[in-house]
Amino acid sequence: MMSNAFSIARKEFTDAVTSRRLWLIAGIFLLFSIASTYSTSFGFMMRAQQATRPMLQIASTIASTTAYMAPLLGIALAFDAVSGERERGTLRLLLSRPIYREDVINGKIISALAVIGLTITVSSLASVSVSILLHNVAVTLDDVARICVFIVFSIVLSFAYYALSLFISTFSNKSSHSLIISIGIWIFFAFILSIIGSLVAVAVLGPPPTRAIAIFNRTQGQSGNFTFPRESEEYLNYMRKEAEISSAIQTFSINYHYTQITNSLFGFAAGPLELGQRARATASIPTVLSTRLIDIVVLIVFPIVLLVASYMVFTRRQEK
Amino acid sequence: MSLAIETENLVKIYGKENSGIKALNGVNMKVPKSSTYGLFGPNGSGKTTLISILIGLLLPTSGSAKVLGLDTVKDSVEIRKRVSLLPEGFGFYDHMTALENLTFLATLDGIPPDHRKKRALEALETVGLKDRANDKVSTFSRGMKQRLGVAQTLLKDPELLIFDEPTVGIDPEGAAEFRNLVRRMNKEGKTILMSTHLLYEVGMVCTHAAMIREGRILTQGSIEELYQPVKEARGYRYEIRVKPGSEIPLQEIKSMPGVKEITQGGDRITVSSNKDIGRSLLSLVAKNPYKELVESLTPIEPSWEDIYQFYQEGDKK
Repeated sequence: MMSNAFSIARKEFTDAVTSRRLWLIAGIFLLFSIASTYSTSFGFMMRAQQATRPMLQIASTIASTTAYMAPLLGIALAFDAVSGERERGTLRLLLSRPIYREDVINGKIISALAVIGLTITVSSLASVSVSILLHNVAVTLDDVARICVFIVFSIVLSFAYYALSLFISTFSNKSSHSLIISIGIWIFFAFILSIIGSLVAVAVLGPPPTRAIAIFNRTQGQSGNFTFPRESEEYLNYMRKEAEISSAIQTFSINYHYTQITNSLFGFAAGPLELGQRARATASIPTVLSTRLIDIVVLIVFPIVLLVASYMVFTRRQEK
Repeated sequence: MSLAIETENLVKIYGKENSGIKALNGVNMKVPKSSTYGLFGPNGSGKTTLISILIGLLLPTSGSAKVLGLDTVKDSVEIRKRVSLLPEGFGFYDHMTALENLTFLATLDGIPPDHRKKRALEALETVGLKDRANDKVSTFSRGMKQRLGVAQTLLKDPELLIFDEPTVGIDPEGAAEFRNLVRRMNKEGKTILMSTHLLYEVGMVCTHAAMIREGRILTQGSIEELYQPVKEARGYRYEIRVKPGSEIPLQEIKSMPGVKEITQGGDRITVSSNKDIGRSLLSLVAKNPYKELVESLTPIEPSWEDIYQFYQEGDKK
């Protein structure tokens, strides 16, 4: 049974790696990653001394790009996975062979995992290599381990969107519909939900209290410097609550959980209580994994649920 | 009679059982082994639904179907090992060559790796596409794609071939080639089930046929069995062709039992009768003076339109 799935996976993999669509997405992914890492590492080079753990800062910029590109990669591979076969009439030919329906979907999933894994690994490593080779950024063994963990979670994020788009594709008769719905959900999770979170917070808490004003101290001629007075406790409390409400709403987004994990992994303070600190709290990898356990579980369970749903829809749907 | 396909009260309802669309309404079909069986019916009559159930792509709402002695619900994979289908509205992977497409499908058919390419090339040769084996399918015309569709059914040397509307969209030459291929495969002992909405196609290639309308089989049997009731109802007709300018005595023909009417137009004489007088007429024209004057004697078979109309009217009554 699995040999048929692997035969389908082999064909799907060949199709994917030779398709313009994948090369376009991988190219954009690589371009953005390299550009952002280049500018970050170039910044280090311009300053006399390197920041502490510079590679983690570079990796965090890759993570920002990946948070947007990985879902698009997953969607690009899945939106027409089943609906496209249905539209072209190739699904009828496939299902008229002595194979199980599960073989078709298993083959597509195996191939997608391979393509996603390859694309994200190559893009991430290429970006990191640019920094190392061009700007001589120091790398520790711990950095390498963190980047590896990051790659794994990036693959999971991309695969989560693959599973989402595959699910839509299984019940959709048109790939265009599947693409629109998938992109719509991505936009909702990546952008709209955070806006909704902020709006709900303002609706619940009311308008924010007045902030302290920065003072410009003129020293000589037109030059001078700003003095930032300490924010009031009332303002800080408001911001903390606002972040709590906004985060609570964003927990519905798979992107949010991914960002929480990568922020912790690369030492960016995350979560409402640490707001404003942006400190390098580089907790050990096991600590990060244990403190972000819920995010990790959500990131893993999300695609599993959608894959089960895809199986159910595809195997039960009767193709005439 | 050994059967390749047998269905019993097959019902298929799309949607809810009470309010859904009834595509099949108690189909009982018997396809003898080694026959070329035409499944004729207008669009929407349930042909594709029936075929999809036979190959295990759809589940029946009720009733049962056996293909090569196997249950279509429990043994669908085993059925697909021994049966090839040319589905209606199928497609190929356009970015792949004809050979790549067939080799991939041969893999799924369970053909051993070292035989796949050979089998694919043989199938392409059978349908006359060997020269285009390494061309991408996107460059193929519709007729060529249809031939490639036939080629994919030949990969695994099936016992039963099912063609769903096989000549739709192909030119007359291609359709004729396809019919020749069907005849050849039938001679090799393969059973062929062919759905069509073109009546003449049934008459041209089929040894047996069923007429389906609104999800019900109106009639089925060998072509002769289908003709017989129609001939009996509308009478038997024969055409006698005489040599140009000659006249034959008609008295003896008129006196044959059952003869209703004789009409003459030019060199053609049409004899209508209540009974089958074919043999008597043949003996008569073999004797003098007819022998010298008659060029040919042929029975006028009812057209397939007549046959369909006959059974359709019978069903309405």
